[in-house]
Amino acid sequence: MRIVHVSNRALVVPGELLAEGDLRAGRGAYKEGQKIFSSVVGLVEIGEKEVSVIALEGCYEPRVGDDVVGVIVDSHMYGWIVDINSPYMGDLYAQDLLSKVDVTRVELSSYLKRGDLIFAKIGEVTSLRKVKLQARGAGYGKLKGGRLVEITPVKTPRVIGKRQSMLSMIQSVTGCILKVGQNGRIIIMSEDDKKISAITEALYMIEREAHTSGLTDRVKVFLEKRLKEDGEKASD
Amino acid sequence: MEKKLLIEGRRLDGRSPDQLRPVKLKAGVLKRADGSAYIEQGNNKILVAVYGPQELHPRHLQQPDMAVLRCMYNMAPFSVEERKKPGPDRRSVEISKVVREALESVLFLNLYPRSVIDIYIEVLQADAGTRVAGITAASVALADAGIPIRDLVAGVSVGKVDGTLVLDLNAEEDQYGEADMPVAMTGRDKRITLLQMDGHMTREEFRQALQLAMKGCQQLYELQKEALREKYSSTPKEVTG
Repeated sequence: MRIVHVSNRALVVPGELLAEGDLRAGRGAYKEGQKIFSSVVGLVEIGEKEVSVIALEGCYEPRVGDDVVGVIVDSHMYGWIVDINSPYMGDLYAQDLLSKVDVTRVELSSYLKRGDLIFAKIGEVTSLRKVKLQARGAGYGKLKGGRLVEITPVKTPRVIGKRQSMLSMIQSVTGCILKVGQNGRIIIMSEDDKKISAITEALYMIEREAHTSGLTDRVKVFLEKRLKEDGEKASD
Repeated sequence: MEKKLLIEGRRLDGRSPDQLRPVKLKAGVLKRADGSAYIEQGNNKILVAVYGPQELHPRHLQQPDMAVLRCMYNMAPFSVEERKKPGPDRRSVEISKVVREALESVLFLNLYPRSVIDIYIEVLQADAGTRVAGITAASVALADAGIPIRDLVAGVSVGKVDGTLVLDLNAEEDQYGEADMPVAMTGRDKRITLLQMDGHMTREEFRQALQLAMKGCQQLYELQKEALREKYSSTPKEVTG
C-alpha cells in the first residue's frame, strides 16, 4: 500500500508530508513510521521505490566518484590539504598525483603551491568524513589557465543536465571546454574574454533559475544572443 | 488610578486577546550568510543568519559523530529604549542556550560529523517575545541554508494581563502583566521544544495558555512555509545582455 501526497517536481519545505507506505526516503527526505517527510526546501522526485527531494540550497557533501575542483591550502610531508568547498577538507597524497615520487627527497611545494587549483576525483570518504582525493590520469591534476566560477553546489547537476544536455549545449554553442566540479566550482577553459564572461553569466543564470523548466533552451537563446552581440560590437 | 491593559476586551494596541501582532517574515535576506531570515512581529525587528555546516576550529571542540550547534542571541545597543551595553550578558547567554536547545531537536546533526552550524540572532528592535520570534526566524534561516531539518519550529509567547489570557504579548503587557510564557513548538506535530514561564498561572490557565500558544504557532508556521515558498515562486526574468 502506498499513498503519494505531492506531485512530482512540486516545491516543498521541511516537514511536509510526501508519501505513506512501502517507499524509501531518499536524499532530502526522512521516514517516521510509515510516513515520509521532506527535510529540505526543494523539488520532489518520486521514483519507483524512493521519494527524494532535490535541495535548492546547501553545502557540498563529498561522495566517492565525484569530480571536484580543489584549492590547495597547505602542503605537508606526504601531500597536500585541499579546500573542496565542503565542510570537510580533502587530502591529496603525493602518490595520488605523481606516479613515482620519493617524498623524502622532493619538496612537494614545487609541484603544487598554496592557492593552486586542481581537478580531482573523490577516492574515499570515511565515516569520520576524511576525504581522500585522486588526481592521477588524463584530465586530472593541476589546472592551468581558465576562469573559476563558483555557484551553489546543489545546483551543479543542472549545469550538467540530463545526459550532459546542458553542458554539451554550452560547449558546442561557445566552443569552450568546461570542467565542472560537483562541489560548485566550474573552470571555463578559454582564451576569449568575451566568451568567458558570456558563459559566466549563463552559469549564474542557471544557478538563479535552477528550479524552473525549459532552462536549457533559455540558456541557449541567451548565449547565442550574447555571442552575436559581441560579434557585432567587434565588427563596428 | 491604576492603568488598564485590557479595555472592553481590547488590548492597548487594539488587538483581541487571541490575536497575533502583524508579522512580516522573509527568507534569504543576506547574501554572505549560507542562510538567513528577517522577521518583524509588531515592533520586533530581528535578523537571523546561519553559517555552515563548516569545519570547526579549534579541533578539540569537534564531535567525532555529530555536528555542533552554536547559537548566539544578541541585542543591538539601540534595540531598547535605554541604550543596552553591547556584548553578551547573563540574559543573552541564557537565551542563546534555550534557543539552541529549541532548535537542536529538529536538526539531523549526525549527518555532519566534526562540523559546526552557527546561528546568529540579532535583535535590531525589541518589543517583547524576541526569543520566540528569533526561533521562528532561525528555523526559516536553517531551511534557507539547505540544512536538513525534521520540521520548522515556530514560537510565540502567551501571558496573563488583567486576569485574561492573551496571545503574543507586547512590551507593556510583558512588563505590567501577571504572567509571560514563551512557547516554541514544531509546526507539523506540535511538539514543544521550548517552554518557560514568568509569573503566576493556575493549572487550568496553563492548559488554556498552551492551547492559545498552539493556535499562534500554527499561524506562524503557515507564514514560515509561505516565506520559504515565496523565495522560489517568483518567475524568472529575462536577462538582457
